[in-house]
Amino acid sequence: MSAVAQAPAAPAQSVKKNYLTAIKEALFEEMERNPDMICQGEDIGRLGGAFGVTEGLQARFGESRVIDMPISEGAIAGTAVGMALNGKTVMAEMQFMDFISTGFDQIVNMMATYHYRTAGEVNLPIVVRGPAGAYGGGALYHSQMNEAWFCNSPGLRVVCPSTPYDAKGLMKAALRDGNPCIFYEIKELYRRNEISEVLPENDYIVPLGEAIVRREGKDITFVSYGQNVYHCLQAAIELQKLGVSAEVVDIRSLVPLDEETIFKSIAKTNRIIVVNEAPMTCGFAGEIVARVTTKAFDLLDAPPVRITRLDTPVPWVKPLELFVLPSVEKIVQSALQTVKY
Amino acid sequence: MPLSSPSGTATAEQSEVATEPLQAIRPSETLTKEDCLELFRQLYLARYFDVRLIKEKKRGRLRGTLYSSHNQEAILVGSLYALKPTDWISPIHRDMPAFFLKDAKFDWRRADRLGMSIEEVCAQVWGKVGSPGRARDNWSHIGSREKRIIHSTSMLAGTIPVAAGVVYADRLNGGDAVCLTYNGEGSTAQGIFHEAINFAAVHKLPVITIVENNQWAYGTPVELECPTPDVAERARGFGIPGLVADGQDVFDVYDKVTQAVAHARAGNGPSIIECKTFRAYGHGDHDDDRANKYRSPEEVERGRSRDPINVCRRRLQELGYLSDEDAGKYLAEGKNAAEATNDDFPPEVVEFLNEGIDFALRSPLPEAHEGAKWVFKESV
Repeated sequence: MSAVAQAPAAPAQSVKKNYLTAIKEALFEEMERNPDMICQGEDIGRLGGAFGVTEGLQARFGESRVIDMPISEGAIAGTAVGMALNGKTVMAEMQFMDFISTGFDQIVNMMATYHYRTAGEVNLPIVVRGPAGAYGGGALYHSQMNEAWFCNSPGLRVVCPSTPYDAKGLMKAALRDGNPCIFYEIKELYRRNEISEVLPENDYIVPLGEAIVRREGKDITFVSYGQNVYHCLQAAIELQKLGVSAEVVDIRSLVPLDEETIFKSIAKTNRIIVVNEAPMTCGFAGEIVARVTTKAFDLLDAPPVRITRLDTPVPWVKPLELFVLPSVEKIVQSALQTVKY
Repeated sequence: MPLSSPSGTATAEQSEVATEPLQAIRPSETLTKEDCLELFRQLYLARYFDVRLIKEKKRGRLRGTLYSSHNQEAILVGSLYALKPTDWISPIHRDMPAFFLKDAKFDWRRADRLGMSIEEVCAQVWGKVGSPGRARDNWSHIGSREKRIIHSTSMLAGTIPVAAGVVYADRLNGGDAVCLTYNGEGSTAQGIFHEAINFAAVHKLPVITIVENNQWAYGTPVELECPTPDVAERARGFGIPGLVADGQDVFDVYDKVTQAVAHARAGNGPSIIECKTFRAYGHGDHDDDRANKYRSPEEVERGRSRDPINVCRRRLQELGYLSDEDAGKYLAEGKNAAEATNDDFPPEVVEFLNEGIDFALRSPLPEAHEGAKWVFKESV
């Protein structure tokens, strides 16, 4: 049960919070802490957001700080730039991260480059956040992970948490960072009860650019982020039964990327499989593999592997969707081959 | 000719709010003689800046493309004169003089004015460290938060949502700033033009969109960019005033913008002001020769026949602010600007720009390693 449902007797510190609630708490607490913060997006006020992430925010902070925007991602991103240019911190919600494409120019040309163009005079504290990811039958336009577009646009932080603790801590870090950040929330994790956890009572952040080892192992390293971390963890359990010990690294931030934690893991395992649900060609899995092969080639005993979405859109019905996406089985099979190399 | 709001859809009260302050009153009639002469002087300043840069470019001293504002100076001079120093602007590629004309009334050198110094602007044009952006992006892509000038990109109409965000924040802070955004008629075909003005209209934000309709978007004529005879008619869809100004007449531009500013500052929201003009040269200096292929010499001659300096000069003579002798002193009617020399401009104009150019020439190039700097603000 999430905190929203107000479990009456449970002492606060033992209440487990889900991923969505963690993000909501981060927004409430930052809005409280920073009177110059504005939240804006489609349906985020009266409705409280398509998924309820901003529920109650407008009632608490008013219509001028929590804005129901017209359906225009370009205006959402562009006005966020203007507000930040004039001293505000802005959370701009994309109702689905798929829709970010219609605000693309404002993000990659206006927002991402502002600090650079002005030789540091202007910095824009903006978090563009929203639900992303497949596995839920969302079909082509409610399933995408398009993070590679933004990793390829210098000037943007790119973040993707996999746990409630990280979601809250990274959201706060991103809102305080002073640079624009594209924040990928995994909608399939929003209300997944198994990952709910007790969050610290005190204010905390998870610094951008710090990966975390989710499971230790010695034979092979899985590097992932978002919901694919759980596929990797499950694969590690299956592999253990087969006598293979897998380590799982959750990078959490794509830009900046914590290479050290990855290299440290490979120094131990000498093998790497990168798993993400974006298409393969020019995707972030390829970037990680490139960095490993150029900077840590000597550590490798086997060719690095990418397990990604096929180079296809995300199809709608379940068998098609699962066919093109990474799965526990694909990871296990690939790991077994890689350790034998 | 002011366009009224669509009365069929607005209530009588709304319709009144939208149109009444924008009737054909002439705020310029209350301008003092000194103001009128200052406007005239600023037209010379903008023209001289352009004439001089064209020469410098031809001498090969400037990098990048020069987008001449020749024949369109009255739009910049007249509109900027209608602002308070604390107002915001977002100029685009053809608006280089706007950077130093903002908050420049009477004293162009005042250190505390909320506009750029001629030194900063020239350093930018020459690509030197003295540029406010240390010459990291070219020509008109400069700005200053402190001086309230929004930095543009090459994606036209892209500054309008930024302007809307800026004044939204200003209003939250209790400010009364308006923002003038400059655009060409071609950029009104962009989605973001409509998306941003829609947001501004919904929230009655003080964003004034100046459309410099110079008839040509690079090589495409206005009738292929916009289906209505007046681009200002686009305002109807937002229930906001759309006005057409004579872009050759600094006083008419001043009048229309002054009305729109008053309307916006009173909380009544945005407007669109279309300033009809004509692009004197090619899209950029690289296009001067090709421009002769897509437009006829007759059209160009006709388009350039009402030089804003001459239009202003006649008005000042009518008003008795300029003697016949003084009127013929600088850039006499019929003088081809390409053949103009320093003697064709008021000495203070030449001196002012020379100071800027001297500074630019002295200012060093940025060091190469700066190319990799300031991608991110260092985290605290």
